[in-house]
Amino acid sequence: MSNERLASTCFVFALSCMAIASAHAQEAELDALNLESAPESATAAPPNSKLFFEGALGDVSQRFQSGHRNLGRLSVDLSYQKRLTSGVRAVFSDRLDHFDPALAGTDDTVNSLREAYVSWQADGGNLFLELGRINLRYGPSYGYNPTDFFRDGSLRVFTTADPIALRENRMGTVMIRGQHMWAGNAVSLALSPKLNNAVTADGWNVNLGATNNRDRAVLTFSTPFSKNASGQALLYKQGGQSTAVGFNATALLSDAATAHMEFTRSKEPGLVDRSLGARNASEPRNRVSAGITYTTLGKLSLTAEYQYNGFAPSRADWLALGGTPAAQLAYLSEALRMQELAVRQSYLIYVTQKSFFHKDVDLTTYLQTNSGDNSRLFWAELRRHWPNFDLSLQWQQNIGKANSEFGVLPDRRVVQVLGTYYH
Amino acid sequence: MKILIYPLLTFWLALSTAIAAPVASEILAASDAIRNPGKPFSVTVTLTEFQAGKQVDTSTLTSYSRPRGQGGNFASLVRFVLPQRDAGKLMLKSGNDLWFYDPASKATIRLSPQQRLLGQASNGDVVTVNFAKDYAATLETTEEIKDGERRTRLAHKLVLTAAVEGVTYPGIQMWVDAENNRPLKARFFAESSRLLKTVYYRRFQSQLGADRPTETVIIDGLNPQSVTIMRFSDYAARDIPLTWMQRDFLPRFQPD
Repeated sequence: MSNERLASTCFVFALSCMAIASAHAQEAELDALNLESAPESATAAPPNSKLFFEGALGDVSQRFQSGHRNLGRLSVDLSYQKRLTSGVRAVFSDRLDHFDPALAGTDDTVNSLREAYVSWQADGGNLFLELGRINLRYGPSYGYNPTDFFRDGSLRVFTTADPIALRENRMGTVMIRGQHMWAGNAVSLALSPKLNNAVTADGWNVNLGATNNRDRAVLTFSTPFSKNASGQALLYKQGGQSTAVGFNATALLSDAATAHMEFTRSKEPGLVDRSLGARNASEPRNRVSAGITYTTLGKLSLTAEYQYNGFAPSRADWLALGGTPAAQLAYLSEALRMQELAVRQSYLIYVTQKSFFHKDVDLTTYLQTNSGDNSRLFWAELRRHWPNFDLSLQWQQNIGKANSEFGVLPDRRVVQVLGTYYH
Repeated sequence: MKILIYPLLTFWLALSTAIAAPVASEILAASDAIRNPGKPFSVTVTLTEFQAGKQVDTSTLTSYSRPRGQGGNFASLVRFVLPQRDAGKLMLKSGNDLWFYDPASKATIRLSPQQRLLGQASNGDVVTVNFAKDYAATLETTEEIKDGERRTRLAHKLVLTAAVEGVTYPGIQMWVDAENNRPLKARFFAESSRLLKTVYYRRFQSQLGADRPTETVIIDGLNPQSVTIMRFSDYAARDIPLTWMQRDFLPRFQPD
């Protein structure tokens, strides 16, 4: 067969294939038109409450001791809101965790009263006044939120290493808050009084000592400062410290990418001094986090985030602290309680893949890297959804040398299976 | 005399054709007015997903939309109703801004148009969009097609190219009923000209003063076996304050 004839045969064959494929596609389209929508749900009205139950069983491989320890948890999580009059609503949110065996330093049953407040809205819908325990959260970053000024002491228990899931468990702060909105802008003032000094281990205590142990105030101004970007400026003041300034922003970079950043500048003692109770001079320093999220058409989202805490120990100070591992652990524990970045600089890679090889399976994973000592925290979760039930497998690995941030932690590996039933 | 008659005749024919020919942008605007009420409204959206003809998922949303100023497009606030795990989550689309709010984590996250929250349907499918505001339209041809009820209809084929930044789809082909400007079918394309999806508009019913499509059938461009049907019900005209359409309002949203 001549080359011309071969080429023309191939061309005809290709055209035939394209015609067949096109016919199949048209046929599939017409078949799709035979499908019928599911009937409308009887509960199409938005519910006022959300209730779920969660159980977890796990195994912890320990670094400095032989053998393993078990994890067991049962949790009930309730959120409820009700409109009392046309302009007033009440909000209640609570979580109860029962641990077996109990976590160190806490009761085996721990109740976290996350929110209990009333909210009043003026007729025009532009002015709001709220009073009670409010979970007020600022900052768009994934792993470290410098402008989230009320994060300190807000978590009673740590049930996962996922920073995003942890935010769902945190307690609010008792405050009075007013907000005014106009033309895309908003200004708000929150005043939070000191109500108690002592953090309690009593699992049923509302634990105001954890969230309201000093007088605090934050003033915020939010504005969309361009067509594709918006931000918040914040002024924060707490008893005994000078005023901190903060700024956070997000921007749309393209159809697939967004960016976020947070910045604060304040005058405080170093984090090690605060954690270990030393009284050294305050110095003005910065906290920063900034990142980019890229999403593919295949539902893969990748976030890379840089984190900086000027109040955390330098590499030399960290190594010096490493001479006494007990002090290092006490410091890390306190930094975790304050939800502070324990080291000067860190990097986070956070990845989610929806429909991971199966329509109802999601993969979430992240890697937190301490650039100073090259220690790492790796965490991954595989989650399968059913209509009212989720089953997930979580894996956490703390990697690093003995005196590094993640290498000094007593747990080397945590594996747990969780079941969540949505009522 | 012939020298004068022929040019005059040609001019008259051209003029009458121009007057009679439908203007693409007007057809598109009329079609938009059928898809979307021109005033603030809420609607319940039931999404049913199919794979190879088998129902695999269903979810329910409530969408609140209001025009963004004079002659602008819509801003939409979408509340997730079902499944229960997602109940109370919110999505806000206003201009180029797309926000997702989770009441559990109190996190308000800026989304890119490519981030999907709704299985096969894109975020742009559940918010209210007037194509005439964002796209330049040209009339390519008038031809017979099968509509969403599998009936043969004479339709204008419009080719839409994005006229502003930040639209969900760079290119669209749209077939509009030549008799009554009802939207019948559309094909949505990516930047690379790849077919993303084919959509049929069907089950026209009287809602808020006009016959509007109460179902759209969305067929995946790569895998035609992957189909989502969106059903629109409980249309209601309602007062929707402007503050609902800003990010800071999301933590406070509680519908009636």
